[in-house]
Amino acid sequence: MSKSILGLFQQPEPAADAMDGLKEAGFELGTFDVLTGTPYPEGAFGEHVPQHRLFRFPAFGAIIGFTLSVFLTAVTQLAYPLVTGGKPILSVFAMLIIMYEMTMLAGVIATVIGIVFESRLPNMQPGIYDTRITEGWIGVVITFDDESKVADAESVLNKAGALEIKHA
Amino acid sequence: MQQRRELDQVYTNRKLLNGQLDTPKWWLPTVSILGVVVLIGVFVIATMINKGLGVTGLARPVYWGLFITTFVFWVGISHAGIMISAILRLTQAEWRRPVTRAAELLTVFSLLTALVFPLIHAGRPWRIAYWIMPYDVARGIYPNIRSPLIMDPVAISTYLTGSTLFLYIALIPDLGNLRDRTTGWQNAMYTVLALGWRGNPRQWKMQTVGGILLSALMLPIFVSVHSIVSWDFAVASAVEGWHSTIFAPYFVIGAVHSGVSAVVTMMALMRWLWKWDDFIRPEHFDALARLLIVVATGWLAFTFLELTFALYGQDAPEIALREMQMFQWPWNMLFIIFFLTGYAIPVPMWLFKRVRTNIALMFWTSILVNVGMWLERFLIIVPGLARRTPFVYTWEAYRPSPVEWTIFIWSFAWVTFLMLLFSRFFPLVPLFEQKESQVFTDDVMIGRAKVPAIVREAE
Amino acid sequence: MTNEAVAHESEHHAPPPNVEADVIARELIATTTGASGRFKAWAWILGILSVVGIVSLVVKFASVGDDSTKWGYVAALVSFLLSVAGGAPMIAMAPVMAKANWVRPITRLASIFSFVSVITLIMLIPLVAILPPLVTEGARRRTIWYLAPDYSPHIWGIAGLLLLIVTGMMLFYSAALPDFASMRDHSTGWRQRLGKRLARGWVGTDVQWRTLRMRIGMFGTFYFLILVFVNFLITTDFGQSMVPGWRDAILPMAHTVSGFQGGVAAVVIALYFSRRFMKLEKYVHLDAFWSLGRLLFALTLLWIYFFYSSFIVFWYGRSENDIATLNHQIKGPFLPVFIVGMLLIWFVPWWILIWNKVRRGTSAMVVGSFIILIGLLLDRIRMFVPAWSVPGDQIHQKWLAETPAAYWPTIFDILIMAGGISSIALIVMLMTRVIPVLSVWQVQEFNLLSKPIKYVRGHATLVAKPD
Repeated sequence: MSKSILGLFQQPEPAADAMDGLKEAGFELGTFDVLTGTPYPEGAFGEHVPQHRLFRFPAFGAIIGFTLSVFLTAVTQLAYPLVTGGKPILSVFAMLIIMYEMTMLAGVIATVIGIVFESRLPNMQPGIYDTRITEGWIGVVITFDDESKVADAESVLNKAGALEIKHA
Repeated sequence: MQQRRELDQVYTNRKLLNGQLDTPKWWLPTVSILGVVVLIGVFVIATMINKGLGVTGLARPVYWGLFITTFVFWVGISHAGIMISAILRLTQAEWRRPVTRAAELLTVFSLLTALVFPLIHAGRPWRIAYWIMPYDVARGIYPNIRSPLIMDPVAISTYLTGSTLFLYIALIPDLGNLRDRTTGWQNAMYTVLALGWRGNPRQWKMQTVGGILLSALMLPIFVSVHSIVSWDFAVASAVEGWHSTIFAPYFVIGAVHSGVSAVVTMMALMRWLWKWDDFIRPEHFDALARLLIVVATGWLAFTFLELTFALYGQDAPEIALREMQMFQWPWNMLFIIFFLTGYAIPVPMWLFKRVRTNIALMFWTSILVNVGMWLERFLIIVPGLARRTPFVYTWEAYRPSPVEWTIFIWSFAWVTFLMLLFSRFFPLVPLFEQKESQVFTDDVMIGRAKVPAIVREAE
Repeated sequence: MTNEAVAHESEHHAPPPNVEADVIARELIATTTGASGRFKAWAWILGILSVVGIVSLVVKFASVGDDSTKWGYVAALVSFLLSVAGGAPMIAMAPVMAKANWVRPITRLASIFSFVSVITLIMLIPLVAILPPLVTEGARRRTIWYLAPDYSPHIWGIAGLLLLIVTGMMLFYSAALPDFASMRDHSTGWRQRLGKRLARGWVGTDVQWRTLRMRIGMFGTFYFLILVFVNFLITTDFGQSMVPGWRDAILPMAHTVSGFQGGVAAVVIALYFSRRFMKLEKYVHLDAFWSLGRLLFALTLLWIYFFYSSFIVFWYGRSENDIATLNHQIKGPFLPVFIVGMLLIWFVPWWILIWNKVRRGTSAMVVGSFIILIGLLLDRIRMFVPAWSVPGDQIHQKWLAETPAAYWPTIFDILIMAGGISSIALIVMLMTRVIPVLSVWQVQEFNLLSKPIKYVRGHATLVAKPD
């Protein structure tokens, strides 16, 4: 596993300074990240704003759900054709209700899968972390392929006023 | 005025995780007592299944009585969750934050409870396999999807699945928090459940975007569920008082009325039991009560329309039914209590800010609403069946038996029991939302006035 | 720093900067004066169409007289006008209810629509005159006026609409008071005199502001309640009770909600044109379109919900009554109108408005809004034209034994409808010459309460939420 370090800050301002410093020191976007215990307004740390394809998931799920529901409602009624209440065997207006529910269900399930996937979870080896992040501290984490840059990163973090630096 | 104060995150963690990290003293005795009630209920249900539905008061022509009323009631309560968390999320209402989790939880548990009633009411519940799921290809018999009784379980299970997943997704950041605060087996459990949450921008972005997307998807489901429940009644043209086109939105808005009231009840209890005075504040009750005034008045308008158009036809049986519902003993008594508790007492009270910010008063008025809303369902379902028509030869009125009442009481104990059990392991107030509101709120000075303000990201 | 520089500083768009209060007053007051050639040309065209419409109404009344089966299109037009002109001002009370900041600048535009209700009333008068009596030869038709007192429902329809007009204008006037004062202070000529007269000594004391807010809240709430009630009266007395056996409890609410839909669509269109031709980009931010788009999207879905809730009950019911209602309203000769209307009021706008990109912009939004309005008109036609086509001798039956044949519009019907619809645009256009189309004080308030800020490294808007 590649090496990574974590600088801890108590305030957003120095953490943002550290992020700026890392950019200036030539670290590539995507090799460093900010960890927070609460969502901050997007771009608050000048961080790399992640791209996502979440909106494709519900559409995909809905298509699957709809297809399945057409099959379920139409085929079962044709397979056991019993007229009830004078309604046609293929009662579109009744089928629509079941189709609607199944489409929505599949859409929701796909969205949840999408959220988990796009969050890059589950991740059973999340890497370097500090429990104080959920107490309001802000972590700036840097991952290296090249160990020689560790010192550079440390100096950036120190200069920004990191209260603690952890290695892993 | 907002009485906001800066809350330290360590303090927030300690206070809001007090249910999990140090169990309150009252927890075990309360859960034990509820557990006993639940066990009694389960025993009574088992007895009923063993002896048959004869132990209930149900008899021709009233086959839908207390059970179905209570079923509709719990489905109605379940509408609180998505109403609160989805609509308020989409409209970015700041005051939703402490409410969402508990409301979603109420959705899940009340739906679970609601599902029980049609099942036990079926008489031979093990035959459920032939009612909803007989997809055994061998015999070629399939359920009749034209029946609302099939649409109903489909809709409810969709809603249940969706709400449970929604609840879990919004729980992940807090599970990460619990993982950081615990040791031993608890730590192991939360580590697995948190899926390796770290709180990087990608994960937070998915929480916000995903939350909004899921809300937008759950809202149409929420509307459909109670509509479909209402069609159990409305598509039947043979029972007077049921065959009305207004039933779907009428049921939905009634459900929102009772559901939001149930959330108020629960919030008051949470504030008292876990001493969360810093988080569940009078201004939240104020906002919920304002919402309730609008919802309740809308609901009253629908009630008015339902009644107007029932009489509009000028059909003799329909008029006779309404006369019985409103003017004949004992229905008239129920009707008066329904109207007083459902609207006439609570809503005028909520018009006063002093009432809206008084938590004890809000607690009692919200309970009143649910008494009224339960009676509303009873008055919709039973009189239409109980009215004596020319070819009915049963002259006994429907009287719920002790078995039915016990199961009715069981349902309340069961929901409370599940909620308390949940609170032992998971936080009832979303911590990250609570902290987010600290990040996203600020005060601005306009002249000499300090005005609370919200940080809005550019769209 | 220029706007572009701020935008380029980060990959996020910085919110638009604030404008000074005096600049707002000067620029917005200036928009009322002068009119381009194009504006005048359109005003003339719309004016002539409106006059022709009203003349046609009179001619039709004189020639067709009291044959109610020939008046379906006028009833549909009344319903359409009630929907658009009645629904639009609802946006003017939203800030009081939801404290939403984006809506502040556009409440004026929304409340101007209440003047259009005057046309609704004019169009309603012949309908009231020829509305068949509730009781003929001892037989009474289905109605909400159970005991059929004298002059009902005629008088109630007129009274309700009058009340709506008065309340709508009071809502407009209470919120316009500070702007009349601005006109008194900053305008010239007749506008200044008008401002002086109507400002009624407004100087902006604390008490005056308090009263103003209270009035907006009060008239807004009344307006909403009266609007629902008028929708209830019009749909039952001028729709349902014309058809034997038509008993649709949801119709008043469905009509109200699709009325909001039409109203919001009309506001989007008006906002688009005033923003573009009066150069108001500085004051009407994209945020307003984004929020209106979401509202419109939700209302579009509500249309299908209300429709389906009603339809499925008839479809399952299968009694003669249910079948007759379905044949009359949907399956009958107006099926094509219904299908096209449904596509335009629900399906097409749904697929247009679902995209975030559409709601972030203006052009696709305005297209979607036009489509919704056409759909709304068709929806009203398939609802009211068949209702008025029922021959007078069948009106007292238990249910409709025979679906009447489709009544297609005559040249007079077309002229009346064109006139009615033109009058909406004409009245809104003329009002923009009288008073600023964006409320000056609310734009100032908008700027006071929200300011672009830098949040650590990101851009955001800080929105104050006073009680």
